[in-house]
Amino acid sequence: MEALALDIKIYESEKLKEKLFYKKMESGLKVFFIPKEGYTKQYAIFATDYGSIDNVFVPIGEKDPLEVPEGIAHFLEHKLFESPDNNLFDKFSKLGANVNAYTNFNQTAYLFSSTDNFYESLSLLIEFVQNPYITDENVEKEKGIIAQEINMYMDNPGWRVYFNCLKAMYNEHPVKIDIAGTIESIQKINKELLYKCYNTFYNPTNMVLFVIGDLSFDEILKVVAKSQKNNYDKVEEIKRIFPIEDKKINTQLIEENMMTSAPIFYIGFKDLDTGFKGEKLIKKDLVTNIILDALFGSSSTFYNDLYEEGLINTNFGGYYTGKESYGHSLIVGESKEPKKVYERILRLIKEPSEKLLLEEDFNRIKNKAIGEFLMGLNSIEFIGNNFIDLYFSDFLLIDYLTILESIEYKDIIERFNKHFTEENVVLSIINPLE
Amino acid sequence: MVLNLKSERIKIGNGINLNLVKTDKFKSNLLSFYFLRPLTKEEVTKNALLPLVLKRGTDEYKTNLEIQKKLEENYGADLSVAINKRGEKHVLRFTVETVNGDYVGNKEYISDVFNLLKSIIFNPLLEDGYFKKSYVDQEKENLKRRIESRINDKRSYALDRCIEEMCKNERFSIYPLGNIEDLPGIDESILYNHYNNIIKTSPIEIFFVGDYDDKMVDHMKEMANIEREETITIPREQIMAGSKTKNMVYDDLDVNQGKLVLGYRTGIPYEDRLYNGLLIGSDILGGGPNSKLFKNVREKESLAYYVTSTIFKYKSIMLIDGGIEFANFEKTIDIIKEQIEEIQKGNFTTDDIEISKKSLISSTKSIKDSIFLISEYFFSQILSNDNRSLEEIIEDIDRVTKEEIVEAMSKLTLDTIYFMRNKKAMNIN
Repeated sequence: MEALALDIKIYESEKLKEKLFYKKMESGLKVFFIPKEGYTKQYAIFATDYGSIDNVFVPIGEKDPLEVPEGIAHFLEHKLFESPDNNLFDKFSKLGANVNAYTNFNQTAYLFSSTDNFYESLSLLIEFVQNPYITDENVEKEKGIIAQEINMYMDNPGWRVYFNCLKAMYNEHPVKIDIAGTIESIQKINKELLYKCYNTFYNPTNMVLFVIGDLSFDEILKVVAKSQKNNYDKVEEIKRIFPIEDKKINTQLIEENMMTSAPIFYIGFKDLDTGFKGEKLIKKDLVTNIILDALFGSSSTFYNDLYEEGLINTNFGGYYTGKESYGHSLIVGESKEPKKVYERILRLIKEPSEKLLLEEDFNRIKNKAIGEFLMGLNSIEFIGNNFIDLYFSDFLLIDYLTILESIEYKDIIERFNKHFTEENVVLSIINPLE
Repeated sequence: MVLNLKSERIKIGNGINLNLVKTDKFKSNLLSFYFLRPLTKEEVTKNALLPLVLKRGTDEYKTNLEIQKKLEENYGADLSVAINKRGEKHVLRFTVETVNGDYVGNKEYISDVFNLLKSIIFNPLLEDGYFKKSYVDQEKENLKRRIESRINDKRSYALDRCIEEMCKNERFSIYPLGNIEDLPGIDESILYNHYNNIIKTSPIEIFFVGDYDDKMVDHMKEMANIEREETITIPREQIMAGSKTKNMVYDDLDVNQGKLVLGYRTGIPYEDRLYNGLLIGSDILGGGPNSKLFKNVREKESLAYYVTSTIFKYKSIMLIDGGIEFANFEKTIDIIKEQIEEIQKGNFTTDDIEISKKSLISSTKSIKDSIFLISEYFFSQILSNDNRSLEEIIEDIDRVTKEEIVEAMSKLTLDTIYFMRNKKAMNIN
């Protein structure tokens, strides 16, 4: 099939010793592939640029914005596993493939890993995601299962303290909403709403397929061409409506009691420098993570002082996460006195940045980040999941190391002074009962 | 060029073996030291405390700060310690993973990381002839909090609690991180003496997975160059067939979801001809999304989000666990028992068997793609005196017959039912 070989783009990284193949199908679906010679496992992810934060949008073929119930993207993920003969899992299992899916703030992804029968499994993956079978009856059935999933998260102190932190930082932005919704909100979900979401966001132009393993790109493209549906309405761009998020935080402190052994906390710094994607976003992400590691990581003076004082344990650390419309640094841990830790952090960030962040520390932490990324590339799941996440931020994983290496000391100082201030910080605590 | 997994085992001392797995497939190298101890009430807490103290400082790198900086300089070499139980054995693991020097243009640095690991295990920081008191005191407090935090993960807590109740009079019930009550009785001298005993008497298995040359092998041999007498022998786990008493255990806690665990005795040791049949039977029952429990408890009745069945290899028990509404307690148990009976009666298809075989074979094959799983795999082969290659293990799984599955599953006896519930919430309902 020579025609398929046209328009294939190949990106190559000498440093990573990896190659990335790319082709855009006529349907608008983008297909990426990284060959992994010598690997036994294969992994494929079929993902849509649609997550829990996309809860107000203009449905395809309509004019007015629609607000959908909280948790619907996740509900839809569950429902795509339905088929008229009700044996999708059996089919994957018979091929020896392990199928799964996840929904986060920004994406819904369907995936499988296999050691044999890869191409048959790939065909099955594309077919089930593109052929929804949603009925009133199976929607009702799912409410009981998802209610148990929500209950499970309600009993998880780590999850609750995290979402309370988001609720403290954000006033309007839907990132504060629980991904699975609430037991009340999912009751409002019905077949019609699910199809509206599906038809809008599961258009091939809004989706990407990523494959990794000891495989052939030609074969992959043949399977895609054969399995995918082509009768889609062309959409230019999906209109997503986000509320205008005030720069100010919502509230400084949220405290709650539940069954946990010791108080746990999340300290959040809301990012005010948002509104962009691509290289600029990824660089900001890396720079901020280096700062957090230098300030709060296990080789920092702060970490070791507080550890010696018994204020924190090895669960302490910080990380940044950011997308186009939101971003935040989170410093998390377990402590007898979370408020004391919080005060110490506020005191710390008032110190002059050049004193706080030394160039030698920066160089060391940067080395570590490079090493960690390289080691991550051992895992095809790590590559796949990160590829998808970066892709929807308009960035290719294969360029990651180049950006990381380009970071300079002055980037760190500049970002620190802008991002770590007393105006944009919140504290979330879960205290033990009684 | 699929890697044919081979491990070269070299005896380098009394009860000390170096296991080498050569491969250039990964972007990193991995070096692990495993120390084997019996799982006993007397030493469990001391064993658990030890790696935490050793990680705090060495003769050469006196503080955690210095150790961490050294690791970061070496391209973020990843140091981890773990304390686990494998059946009734207590296993202490010290591991470093480093980026393959080819990727950072520095082939030599790995010897620095080897020296650091050696320093952590064999040259601890001493004060007046014992461990540094403040480190021991702080880590006692940290270990106490870690043991207390078991409750935070309700699912694994429920599983642990079921095992504790079920194996009350067996060593398998011992929690691998130890007991809070033991902590006041441990100080820097007691722990240091215990440490010396561990170094002198424990069987030690060392694993390297990655690319190596003669010089590196010499370095690794030198790392564990210790003079010692005979090491201890650790007895094989006792297997109880059938259950003497039936247990019903409730924990009343402030939770939203009930956690149900059913503990079964299998009576089938891992050396037994029926063991693979048991593995497949358990997978048909509650392995993947094609399993009987997933289909009936979750998909048909919407009772649970998760419900699974797991075999504990070294102890020959099977646990089934699910998260459910409090009120569905009895209904869920009925369905689980019914599904087990179905398998015992042979009411499952050739497809069911094929699916479970494929799933087990696929995860066995996948070991080859993880540097960590490769070392864990060879280590577990040593623990169970199993000389089969991965290919032979796969063949054995593939050979299992329906009759063997039925025979294996017919040996199951229910021993303990554990339920985490919320009395307050139940009264409201």
